[in-house]
Amino acid sequence: MRRYFGRKVLIYLLTFFLAVTIDWLIPRFMPGDPVQNMLARVALHPEAAEALRSYFTRAFGLDVPLGQQYLNFWIALFHGDLGISVYMFPTPVAEVLKRAVPYDLFLLIPSILLSWYAGNKFGAFAARSKWLDNTISPLGYILTATPYMWLGILLAWFFGIVLGWFPIAGAYSFSMAPNFSLAFIASVFHHWFLPFASLFLVGFGGWSIGMRNMIIYELEADYSHYLGALGAPKKLIRRYAFNNAVLPQITGLALQLGVIVAGALVTEVVFSYPGIGYLLLAAIQNQDYFLIQGCFLFIIVGVLLANFLIDILYILIDPRTRRGMTGESA
Amino acid sequence: MKRISLLFSFVVVMSLVLAACQPATEVPGTDVPDVTEPEVTDVPAVTPTDYPRNETLYVSGAAWGPANDWNPFITWSKANTTGTVGFVYETLFAFNPMTGELTPWLALEGVWTDAVTYDLTLREGLTWSDGEALTAEDVKFTFDLAQRIEAIWFSPVWNYLDGITVVDDTHLQFAFTDPLYQEWTNNLYNIAIVPMHLWQDRTDEDITAGANENPVGSGAYLYLTHSEDRNVWVRNENWWGIEVFGLPGPKYIVDIRFSSNNIALGAIIKGEVDLSNNFLPGIATLSEKGYIETYYPEAPFMVPANTAVLFLNTTLKPMDDPAFRRALAFAIDVPSIVSVAYANLVAASSPTGLLPTLSMYDDQDVLAELGYSFDTDTAKAMLADAGYVDLDGDGFVEAPDGSTIALEVTCPNGWTDWMAAIDIIASSSKAAGINITAAYPDYGAWNTALTEGTFHMTLNNWATMSNTPWTLYNLLFRHPIQATMGSGNFGRYDSQEMFDLVDQLAAVPADDIEGMKAVCSQIQELMLTEMPLIPLWYNGLWAQFSTSSWEGWPVEGSGSFALPSTWNGYWQMGGMLTLLELVPVTPP
Amino acid sequence: MSAPKRKFESLFFALRNRKLLVGFSIILAFLLLGLFGPLAAKYAPFDYVYPLGAVPPSSEFWFGTTFLGQDIFSQFVHGLRATFIVGVIGGGLGMLIGILVGFTAGYRGGMVDEILNAFTNIVLVIPTLAVLLIIAAYLDVRSLATECIFIGLTAWPWVARAVRAQTFSLRTREFVDLARLSGMRSLKIIIQEIAPNMLSYLLLVFILQFGGAILTAATLDFIGLGPTDAISLGLMMQYAVMWGALPLGTWWWFVPPGLAITAIVGALYSMNVGLDEVFNPKLREM
Repeated sequence: MRRYFGRKVLIYLLTFFLAVTIDWLIPRFMPGDPVQNMLARVALHPEAAEALRSYFTRAFGLDVPLGQQYLNFWIALFHGDLGISVYMFPTPVAEVLKRAVPYDLFLLIPSILLSWYAGNKFGAFAARSKWLDNTISPLGYILTATPYMWLGILLAWFFGIVLGWFPIAGAYSFSMAPNFSLAFIASVFHHWFLPFASLFLVGFGGWSIGMRNMIIYELEADYSHYLGALGAPKKLIRRYAFNNAVLPQITGLALQLGVIVAGALVTEVVFSYPGIGYLLLAAIQNQDYFLIQGCFLFIIVGVLLANFLIDILYILIDPRTRRGMTGESA
Repeated sequence: MKRISLLFSFVVVMSLVLAACQPATEVPGTDVPDVTEPEVTDVPAVTPTDYPRNETLYVSGAAWGPANDWNPFITWSKANTTGTVGFVYETLFAFNPMTGELTPWLALEGVWTDAVTYDLTLREGLTWSDGEALTAEDVKFTFDLAQRIEAIWFSPVWNYLDGITVVDDTHLQFAFTDPLYQEWTNNLYNIAIVPMHLWQDRTDEDITAGANENPVGSGAYLYLTHSEDRNVWVRNENWWGIEVFGLPGPKYIVDIRFSSNNIALGAIIKGEVDLSNNFLPGIATLSEKGYIETYYPEAPFMVPANTAVLFLNTTLKPMDDPAFRRALAFAIDVPSIVSVAYANLVAASSPTGLLPTLSMYDDQDVLAELGYSFDTDTAKAMLADAGYVDLDGDGFVEAPDGSTIALEVTCPNGWTDWMAAIDIIASSSKAAGINITAAYPDYGAWNTALTEGTFHMTLNNWATMSNTPWTLYNLLFRHPIQATMGSGNFGRYDSQEMFDLVDQLAAVPADDIEGMKAVCSQIQELMLTEMPLIPLWYNGLWAQFSTSSWEGWPVEGSGSFALPSTWNGYWQMGGMLTLLELVPVTPP
Repeated sequence: MSAPKRKFESLFFALRNRKLLVGFSIILAFLLLGLFGPLAAKYAPFDYVYPLGAVPPSSEFWFGTTFLGQDIFSQFVHGLRATFIVGVIGGGLGMLIGILVGFTAGYRGGMVDEILNAFTNIVLVIPTLAVLLIIAAYLDVRSLATECIFIGLTAWPWVARAVRAQTFSLRTREFVDLARLSGMRSLKIIIQEIAPNMLSYLLLVFILQFGGAILTAATLDFIGLGPTDAISLGLMMQYAVMWGALPLGTWWWFVPPGLAITAIVGALYSMNVGLDEVFNPKLREM
């Protein structure tokens, strides 16, 4: 157990190290000069531009050798200092992220958990009979095959514009300032619903298909036939099958997280939802080193943490892993 | 386990709702070093949570990013907090771009008593929003800042400004050595005056780069709140200008940043936004159908605001050849750009590049002789005359020395109207035998190529509406030529004759119209002979408004010089007047 | 059970499997449209052919025109081509790398496996799209080919993981041990014994890769990091949104590209499950 756990932690640490290194590396080798880009839009007189340029180069720590910059990056990271955004100068990146992250979590956590839960239930339901399978499963295929942004566009167009039931931009009404009134909370949910629905529906399709396939494997496994031959009720067999099929679905959840996060990024773009997705895109377009790093880091750490939690959960609910973990770690 | 997970997700959702409330209510504390104490301001003690529709004006189209600072000296991010200059901080004069006249604002009057002395009189009874009086000392302090700190954008004024004397609370005297009258006039309506009592103890870095949260200014509106996608301003009920100009209509102004055209368009059609200054497709149709209104009831619908110019990199072959450049000017199908890319939302530019409001400086004789217009056959003939012929039979001309020509025209990816425009530039040039292809690099890469001069040809429109043709020519022929050209002459057109003319123009007294015309016609003659760049069309002052909640929008012939624009720099060019004239459809 | 007989048997079940047939027909239909559609299109995808802007589908413009008066049918069929290219090349490349890594790890075991597996797990966790976004932003002018390569380079860990697990299980089966005992060389064992047993599995994996690559490309294109010199279904959606197709109600602009992607990817998934049933006798009885 300890060895298994140690290995897992090591992998996570390695991943973190590599990810942070990539994180530091990638934007730094982008073409173009971020300070130049920022100054270029100001019709500045050359002397003034020069003075500002040297100031920014110092402020962003771009005037020391690369190795030193890398070291400084790690040191700053452990102090929770992600630098200052170029594009949103002079706001610190940590501050920018702090404002955006709640929206991401608010969108991602409910949509991931609910789609996983509902998808599995639905998939298990679909696997009950050939008739159900043939009528319900195609819906799953269609949903899981839909590109996130297209579903978003369709929902925004139909419910937002044609019917006018839902707003299609922002996180809460433009006529309100945040407060704890019921009206405001209603407005938050009103704006949250369509982006949530896009993420939920695509995920729902995927999980239900996955569950349906797993259950059918399990129902055809020897133990199911054996139980059937012993005269066990169908309901019991199905419950065993479900319990066994849920395990790979949990692993699947861990593996899918990256994809779901990517889906959230584009969904936020479609609905102008003020999360990391929109921020990352703006950061890339403006070559904002520090903001790109911050967004990327947040995504990586988030996905790593979620993976880690799922790993622990898996160990807790699947006794087999405990036995298998000292041997082959396949 | 399932029940637990559901319960868990419910708890998470609820805690997030609370979390979502947080970020905007708290004024983001910043950890940037050297930020001074926030200024005190008399924002209403209880921040309203709901803005009544008939007291609130919703606008969009100025901000391209979230608000980060309210510092009037940080010019590049001002678009994101449009109104910092205009709402909060004010300028000495306002400017009417339609007539070219300065109108008193903070100042009552300004006169040149002789060639090197400018006397300025301020209005009586000016106040800052914290109750202190705004005096001549504040004006002097603001100008003096730029003498000390080179990074302030108007510091070059001190190249020809000698000193400022405060005569009394409302009188100042500016003494010059060798004034650039044109630039000075431009400064008078662009420099925002800041309160000395709150700024004098700040560090240089804080003045040039500090966020200046909760700004205290002299203007008609106060900062209320902001979040990622909006800035909210509230009317200053103690504004000094109420007695002079009257009370602005909207009590609240919510400036929204939409992430896409698509959403802005939806909002303006529904009347959720009252004024949109985004470039939006389909406006011509929507205006004709009466969904929205525009300044002009028919094409081009928008007030021309700046000139889209095709910069040619004159350091590269064959664009170092004036004959080639002139032929190219005839090859470009501007009528199609106007009708297809813009659906008639813009008009073709004068070959001089000057906006219609400055057309008095167009030399008609020069235009008749050297002007250009789209004509593929003429372009072909001009190319042939200059020795550009198709040697290898691929349909495209080769340079006189036999080398092949393959050029690229660029604009930033995602700038839809320009992307369509450069497509047309490429295809119409190909029709004339010049091999040009369109490419859309990302904004950052495009910008780097632009300022470092590694592009072939590219679009740019960075000169705003102005009191003087010098503003445009200062962009087009910015000098000296440096390794990075951050603010003009991107094609590195190197002509001392032209540079001298532009400098000469800057020093013509502002009221010497004939003197300006004389220099302008020399500039235009040289420009159209050498054709180092090609003015193509006038980008509009994109403005579409809805009359569902507010009336009294400025339209053609409405008499005032109000302009329906929320863009940074336009508040003092008619934007504030628009607010003064607006009335709610249903009074509160 | 000898190989030829098994193949024949598979074919028999394949022809009777509805999921597979429906999926395959849809793919085939779109493939043919992508191949021959551009020949039937009357206009080039970017030409401004209709001066009055956006019109709904008609006999002249089968799918209508864009805001700028471009023929949507032409963009659509050319975009389909791009979609299939990205699927085949991007998905294929990811597949190739994945097989190499997974197979090496699974067959060699030991230290090699430790290192490769650790590496695979690391890349697997890093959100691909975030990396792709940043890499794509590197190039100021992007082509379809670079998009394929990027997608291929980031899509392999799934394959590697799956192939490794399969190789593990096959390596320890009796028939491989028998072959090894009988003195066969490694390469021969791989080609003659392991590969045929994995082929069906690899086909399933490829189908998923194909669909995944299409979705990834559509996402990149939509965000504005797609090819700058071509048309694709994702780019069509991006343009539609940029030119206000939603509020202006020009649904014929954004519906076809999304519908095509959904249909293609959905059909691939359906084929995947169908094939699974064909190859896995136990599942057929359902």
